[in-house]
Amino acid sequence: MANSPPDPDIGDEDGFLPEHADTPRWVQVFGLIALVLVLLVIIMLLAGRGGHGPGRHTVGGGGPTPAAGPIQLP
Amino acid sequence: MTPGVRKLALTAHVTCSVGWLGAVAGSLPLAVAGLTSQDAQTVRAVYLTMELTGWYVLIPFSLASLLTGLVQSLGTVWGLFRHYWVLTKLLMNVVATLVLLLYMQTLGRLADVAGETAVSSSDPRGLRDPSPVLHAAAALLLLLVATALAVYKPRGMTRYGRRKQHERRTVSQPAT
Repeated sequence: MANSPPDPDIGDEDGFLPEHADTPRWVQVFGLIALVLVLLVIIMLLAGRGGHGPGRHTVGGGGPTPAAGPIQLP
Repeated sequence: MTPGVRKLALTAHVTCSVGWLGAVAGSLPLAVAGLTSQDAQTVRAVYLTMELTGWYVLIPFSLASLLTGLVQSLGTVWGLFRHYWVLTKLLMNVVATLVLLLYMQTLGRLADVAGETAVSSSDPRGLRDPSPVLHAAAALLLLLVATALAVYKPRGMTRYGRRKQHERRTVSQPAT
């Protein structure tokens, strides 16, 4: 149809999308949240807890693994 | 891309992304059960299941979501770096996939401990680990935000996007 609304996935009838010069507020909020999370992860890594590298996680939240001391069968 | 191919690529991307979200949503109650269950066999089963789910559901869906997202963005006028919402989703997807790949080492270790015959005790306290709950909850939140971004497509073009669009306008509407 000639008068159908523009497809939101491809823009207006010319293929152009809305243009705004300023950085939107939601981007600023997301950036702030990301910065806080990155700082939190760095603090946790420096504190010796958390992180995602090998050996960072241990069973029991940082204590010795159960494999180090087998639990007796009931 | 032709409209048909574009719809196919979009369908693939939505399927993979929502599949990833669903798999993470399914992992969260498992992780909670692993942390809170009083039954050692349940806790062991949880970590063995979570490792399998990670390798055979979460990672394939995450990589497929990333790949189909790249195809979807590069094959349409949205581009990869032109709109903040696309760029934000890309960063979230990459970070979540990297964290998942790294976290599989932890899940593997948990599954190894859970699978050891010497650790078949009726007391599950030594097996419990809060990290799967934290990671599953964080991943669920992140993927929900990514889904909302994809649906709402909040406005905002990057400087690169504005420049590219200006170039396209200049080409398609030359000054007379």
